[in-house]
Amino acid sequence: MTKTQGGVRGWFAARKGVWSRLRFTSLRLRLVVVFGLVALTAAVSASGIAYWLNREAVLTRTQDAVLRDFEQEMQNRAGLLPETPTQDELQHTAGQMANSSQRFSVLLVADNADGTPAYGSSGGLDGFTLADVPASLRTAVNEKQPVNSTNKSEYHLYWQRIVEDDQPYLIAGTRVNGGGPTGYMLKSLEQEAKDLNSLAWSLGIATGLALIGSALLAQAAATTVLKPVQRLGAAARRLGEGKLDTRLRVSGTDELADLSRTFNNAAEALEKRVDDMAARDEASRRFVADMSHELRTPLTAITAVTEVLEEELEAETGSMDPMIEPAVRLVVSETRRLNDLVENLMEVTRFDAGTARLVLDDVDVADQITACIDARAWLDAVDLDAERGIMARLDPRRLDVILANLIGNALKHGGSPVRVTIREADDSVVIEVRDHGPGIPEDVLPHVFDRFYKASASRPRSEGSGLGLSIALENAHIHGGEITAANSPEGGAVFTLHLPRDASKLAEEDGNENDGTGADDTKKGDA
Amino acid sequence: MTPVPSLLLIEDDDAIRTALELSLTRQGHRVATAATGEDGLKLLREQRPDLIVLDVMLPGIDGFEVCRRIRRTDQLPIILLTARSDDIDVVVGLESGADDYVVKPVQGRVLDARIRAVLRRGERESNDAATFGSLVIDRAAMTVTKNGEDLQLTPTELRLLLELSRRPGQALSRQQLLRLVWEHDYLGDSRLVDACVQRLRAKVEDVPSSPTLIRTVRGVGYRLDTPQ
Repeated sequence: MTKTQGGVRGWFAARKGVWSRLRFTSLRLRLVVVFGLVALTAAVSASGIAYWLNREAVLTRTQDAVLRDFEQEMQNRAGLLPETPTQDELQHTAGQMANSSQRFSVLLVADNADGTPAYGSSGGLDGFTLADVPASLRTAVNEKQPVNSTNKSEYHLYWQRIVEDDQPYLIAGTRVNGGGPTGYMLKSLEQEAKDLNSLAWSLGIATGLALIGSALLAQAAATTVLKPVQRLGAAARRLGEGKLDTRLRVSGTDELADLSRTFNNAAEALEKRVDDMAARDEASRRFVADMSHELRTPLTAITAVTEVLEEELEAETGSMDPMIEPAVRLVVSETRRLNDLVENLMEVTRFDAGTARLVLDDVDVADQITACIDARAWLDAVDLDAERGIMARLDPRRLDVILANLIGNALKHGGSPVRVTIREADDSVVIEVRDHGPGIPEDVLPHVFDRFYKASASRPRSEGSGLGLSIALENAHIHGGEITAANSPEGGAVFTLHLPRDASKLAEEDGNENDGTGADDTKKGDA
Repeated sequence: MTPVPSLLLIEDDDAIRTALELSLTRQGHRVATAATGEDGLKLLREQRPDLIVLDVMLPGIDGFEVCRRIRRTDQLPIILLTARSDDIDVVVGLESGADDYVVKPVQGRVLDARIRAVLRRGERESNDAATFGSLVIDRAAMTVTKNGEDLQLTPTELRLLLELSRRPGQALSRQQLLRLVWEHDYLGDSRLVDACVQRLRAKVEDVPSSPTLIRTVRGVGYRLDTPQ
């Protein structure tokens, strides 16, 4: 969408595009979030389990090895000590014990001959004293268990993991069975903690990578899903705009292809239906057009003859059979009506078929209105407020049709006096036709320009053809003008006609080569 | 000019032909009728009518073609009777040389008024002459000569030229000309004027596409000038 734009504007547009694509409710965002959550759950649980299992395995292995060693040392070395070892002996033995492969510190506690406790520490770790050993462990270690079939020794080995100064330690203690010193062991688990830490880090990084990967995957998935959806959306929009030949390319056999196929079928059905309707509409329009053409021929003959009859009526009374006279009058008046109706139908079909053309001329609008009123003997009933000199380039015949219909309508429904005013507005002429009747009911107002619209079904047949206002409106439209109907606040209906001062531009756009005046002016410029 | 004008009505529809004949006869015209263009052309040679009322839609050669054939030899007035007021018909009709047209269903009175108006165009009124460059208009003899040669003008073309020459150098609007020459009311079709001006230019101008006599006055109408 920003292909044609460049630089900063393009960048902004791209940003905007990204934002709009990442709207919270957008499918893309939802997909990314869901993918992310799935990946996070999977990665976290996998890492968690892996970490936990690993941790247990590492710690248990270290611990088992250390404790086995310690027990061994206790039996092999501390067990050999005399009943009441001296401080030095304890110290020496502790040093020996600590010298094993597992590198732990040892604290031996024994009773002196005088009953006071003697301590011997391996010294590898300064300050490994009895104070470092948790009281609970000491109690457990020194507790003498009864010996029975299931328990063969009086004292057991107990261990505990402690954290001191943020360093993890394994601390264990036992007492030599059958009397001997109590031994404690302190082993730093720092190395293991470090290993586990780095494992945790790796797992964290792996989880992060999985998240990023899932986001990318979600984007890709969203694109593959959303591209067709976008295409579908664009196609639906085009279809809505009336381009009924819009079709989607169907590729693959997935649900989206299925949807595309459904769309295509729907569009095809719609197009066919619209075509059918247009054809039927066209046929009915053509029928009306042909019909009016066909009516003209007999009507021409009838009209010519009716005039003869009419003259006979006017000639002198008594020249005609009084029984026949009303019949002749009826035929004459109804023939005139039929003539008007066919004339209007012809006019309407020309508008419908788009063959109506403007024949433009420069006219004085006030003169045209006066002539229109004069020609129909309406001078007494119409109050004209128009200054001469307002010139406009329009089709005088069509202006006459509009005016005759508007004023005729006002006289018929509103009664005289009808007030007609002209004023100029920018590049248009505004003509207002106001009557002093009851006005137009609100529910009728939107339909006054409809063809054959009758205010109520029970209303008696009016004199008009029912096409007058519709034709007036069409005539205004072909000039690029407009007619609006409203009720005046002072009462009475007001029809306002807006016509452009110069309709020639419109006529040219129409590709109107039959506008003799225009063609003459442009082709034959006087040199 | 005969006291009772004689008309030739060429119309293929029996009902219309009969009705119009009836109506026009009652208006005081002598009416001869023909049902086809061919018959009409034959009658034209035999009877020399004052005016032809010609239907456009004819079997065989159509009204436009009849009009063109008549114009090759004759300058008598022709009024077209068109069932379609489609603009293209009107324009083609005017280009083929018709003087006026009426749209069906036509009222006999309107047709009669048009006929009388067309016939009046040939009547002379004053006895002077005017010269515009190489063009000499003799109002007494109702002739127009260009470089001494007689020009064959239809009564409508002649009347248009006379009306323009009566007010040399003054622009006349199409509506004015429609009233003066065609005696139409305020709704006259301005294309009648344009078509007639073009036909007239083709006859009187040296170069019809760049006229020096009958000039277009943009936004107003036409004007007859004396070439400098």
